Amino acid sequence: MTAYLLAIGIMAAIYVLLTLGLTLQYGLTGLVNFGHVGFFAIGAYASALLSLQGVPLPLTFLAAALAAAIAAWPIGLVALRLREDYFAVVTLGFGETVRLAITSEGWLTNGVQGIPGIPRLFSAMPVGLPEALATFAVIALACTVAALMLRRIAASPFGRVIGAIRDNEDALKALGKDPARFKLQVMMLGSALAGIAGAFYGHYITYLSPDQFIPLVTFYAWMAMIMGGVGRVSGAVVGAALLMAFLEGTRFLRDFIPGVSEVEMASVRLGAVGLALVLFTLFRPQGLMGDYRK
Amino acid sequence: MLAQLFVAGVVHGLIIGLAALGVTLVFGIARFPNAAAGDTMTVGAYGGLAAYGATGSLLVAGGASVLAAGAASLLGYLLVFRRLAGRSLAALLVAAIGVAFLLRAALGVVFGHQQRVYQVPLAWPIEVMGLRISPMDITLAGVAAASLTVAFLVLYATPIGRQMRAVADDPDLARVSGIHPFRVMAALWLLAGAAAGIAGMMLGIKTVVAPEMGWESLLPAFAAAILGGIGSPVGAVVAGLVLGIAQEVSTPIVGFTYKIALAFFVMLLVLLVRPRGIFGRVEGVR
Repeated sequence: MTAYLLAIGIMAAIYVLLTLGLTLQYGLTGLVNFGHVGFFAIGAYASALLSLQGVPLPLTFLAAALAAAIAAWPIGLVALRLREDYFAVVTLGFGETVRLAITSEGWLTNGVQGIPGIPRLFSAMPVGLPEALATFAVIALACTVAALMLRRIAASPFGRVIGAIRDNEDALKALGKDPARFKLQVMMLGSALAGIAGAFYGHYITYLSPDQFIPLVTFYAWMAMIMGGVGRVSGAVVGAALLMAFLEGTRFLRDFIPGVSEVEMASVRLGAVGLALVLFTLFRPQGLMGDYRK
Repeated sequence: MLAQLFVAGVVHGLIIGLAALGVTLVFGIARFPNAAAGDTMTVGAYGGLAAYGATGSLLVAGGASVLAAGAASLLGYLLVFRRLAGRSLAALLVAAIGVAFLLRAALGVVFGHQQRVYQVPLAWPIEVMGLRISPMDITLAGVAAASLTVAFLVLYATPIGRQMRAVADDPDLARVSGIHPFRVMAALWLLAGAAAGIAGMMLGIKTVVAPEMGWESLLPAFAAAILGGIGSPVGAVVAGLVLGIAQEVSTPIVGFTYKIALAFFVMLLVLLVRPRGIFGRVEGVR
């Protein structure tokens, strides 16, 4: 039971990191990033491939963050000059393109067969409760650091500028600030967070394949963010916890309803995510603990 | 070889063009990129498949796909998008994703996940000027041409079509001219859904029917709508053809998976170099 709760806790913490990246991009700045999973995938593969080459783990995490941020750079440059609806479409396309590239470039990523045997976070320890506990502690620490960093950012002059981008970009331009530069920085920083989340994911699951990086992952993070409350750092944590409770809950649901196959359950889960996205935007856009004024 | 791929590209391009027609109408009139367009196609494909399985008639299948996808599209408007009028663009974008997931989930639950095919009779290809063309491709091109004719007649020869174009041009001016927004919007979503439905049925006949098929066509449809110029129905169809042919002709060079990515790069390029597309007007904002 403890092991099971820890496993859920680790996945929840990974989603907290992923959602924090989105909170920075959409919640604080208003960038509609529909391609978050692409940066998550880049981080996961970067760290996994480097660690399999014998690079020590802390360095591979740095590389994962860098790779995701660098991937965000051209996307940011190109897309941030676009209106937000075009930006959403372009990022959606980017996320899909990353998955296609992972599928096609078998020499690097082993294609659809995937990469097995990725070293665990604490590969020296035997697989068991202490090892899981240590893994959870490290990821939780990373979440705490990221959350505190986001809080600092939101309260800083930089945070006020990106808040102004979200609320009224034209007014900001009239005041002589260049939104594009700030958006680019936000895009890269948020993607770096997604990259680190991806690295944790790869080293925890120890196996990567393209079908783990479907667009649904992006919208899990969106769902977590919207449920928790858009624009709030604590909302990302609450939202990710709710998301995990929901994902695990649907697994238990299968034990109670006989004759439901795993693929049917996947459909039900997809439908529930869709329903949550629709209902929250319709009836409670501020989320469960969001700021009602925004 | 190249000419053969060209022919395949034309049929594929007509599918993209029809899907892009729906996307560009919604984008031009309701003013947001509808991410549920792809899954509306899937609804049409399954609707057509059920009717084709029951009757074996392509005509009935086409009618069923139009009905199913049109109904799904209209329902999406009535239940979700209509209530979001006046809300932020991000709300519409997220809600559209939600609708897309709901449609796909419903199809997955009702029809299951195994791939299905239209049991179309096999026929020998016809030789035309050294090119082998399957009779099915000719039929599908005819279906597409007929659907496009109907769609353009609705847009350019009926009062409701004229009103739609007026709303696309200038919503405020349309409203003060006494155009009822609800009727126009309902007609718009029906028409966009119907176009997506036919596109879905054609794609289902050419390939296989599966819950993910429409979502995978979403990116090419968006790319064609942008390449053609948002709000331009002619542009969407022309750009769809261009993109379809480009995808098929480039397949030997870039490989099977990257032909979807091609749509992404075309979209990026157009947005950077000529954001109003081929047929679009200068709008000031992109």
